[in-house]
Amino acid sequence: MRTLRSVVSWFMPVVPESRVAVLRTVLYLFVIIDIHLIVRDPIPLSRHPELYQPLMLERLLRLPAPSVPLTVTLYLILMVGCLLAAANVLPRLAGGVVAAAFTWWTAIGMSYGKVDHDHLPLVVALWVLPTVGVIADRWRSMERSAQAGWALKCIQISVVFTYFLSALTKIRSGGWSVTSWPESSILLWAIVRRPHGLGQFLLPHPELLHIMQWCSFTAELTAVVVLWLRGRALLAAAVFWMGFHVFTLALLYIHFAPTAICWLAFAPLERLGPWLRRVKARRRQRTGRRSAGHPVPVLRDHPVDSGS
Amino acid sequence: MLGIGLLLNGSLRMSDDVWPFGPMSQYAFSPSGNTTIVITRVEGLLADGRRINLPLRVETAGISRAEIEARIPEITADPSLMRSVTDGWTSRHTAEPPLQRVWLVQDQTRLVDGRLGPTRLVELATWELPS
Repeated sequence: MRTLRSVVSWFMPVVPESRVAVLRTVLYLFVIIDIHLIVRDPIPLSRHPELYQPLMLERLLRLPAPSVPLTVTLYLILMVGCLLAAANVLPRLAGGVVAAAFTWWTAIGMSYGKVDHDHLPLVVALWVLPTVGVIADRWRSMERSAQAGWALKCIQISVVFTYFLSALTKIRSGGWSVTSWPESSILLWAIVRRPHGLGQFLLPHPELLHIMQWCSFTAELTAVVVLWLRGRALLAAAVFWMGFHVFTLALLYIHFAPTAICWLAFAPLERLGPWLRRVKARRRQRTGRRSAGHPVPVLRDHPVDSGS
Repeated sequence: MLGIGLLLNGSLRMSDDVWPFGPMSQYAFSPSGNTTIVITRVEGLLADGRRINLPLRVETAGISRAEIEARIPEITADPSLMRSVTDGWTSRHTAEPPLQRVWLVQDQTRLVDGRLGPTRLVELATWELPS
């Protein structure tokens, strides 16, 4: 019974709801960036029905084949839905619509032969964030709940599983061997095919590429440990993985932005609102516009009313 | 728990088809030190006689290289499928002379004992655009 309780409390820790409110704002705004810069091809791709090969999800749900009116409609729904949801307005309705529309949009983008794997945490986040429901006072909320904790835990798990499962896939594709991928010529192969970045300087040094493959494979295989880290150790892990993404970007022009942004599910985002209010209050003080007797937030305290 | 189970099942047993629960297969295979690395491209002959590269990117052709690479068998069987590239490129380059012919080509680079070897150009398909 005690074990069950500790498992439940691990999956559903009680955390500040303002953390979810801030994460909603960031992720729904990120979706707007995503549909313009990352999965930006569903509308042009929908002009080529002859190349469409629906994924299992689209076949199971009997979704219609993409057409220009359909993808443009999805685009408009995403724009409106994301703006509402980012403001924490109608979180269940707007969030649910964005989750469904973005999943379909991304599935369309991946139904023409190439399937990317950087969207798992973002898709999971969009489905779980609406479950927290209305957060009174949004960024200023002082409420804490296990529901918010569960949503964040789901996103955290999907972030680390993106790395861990990628290591499992490497073991599987190498004939269930742990050495075949790190010892292969995969980075050389990738750099030849994407000759844009820093990678070109490493082409004459395959031994160095093998060392890099061993490092990334080991990090991916052990990524699940991050779920149990706290404080400075967690910060160090987050910095390491951000560095990893910056490095692959420099090496191959491959970014994992939709995964990287979801690392925010580990961050104490509830501090952002009070911090912003303190900054605003200080700026007001400096410009001398603050009137006497106006409540001022105290450093490292929760402001009752910042007047902003 | 169900989600974790689906993800593990996808990674250990399934293919990309079950996205978002499929395996994380990008760059997850293990090419040998003597493999051949291919870069697929589309080249076009313009009405003024220039033979140019039609970059396979969404911004320039409305479709990316990965999507064309995934359809190589279909394109070699029916080269008119290259219309997806020529339509996209033409609509984005209205000032250029019309395309007359396109080729699906590959730069094939051979690795020798894990180091770069020679590269050769191979033509996979040709399509004369209807005038």
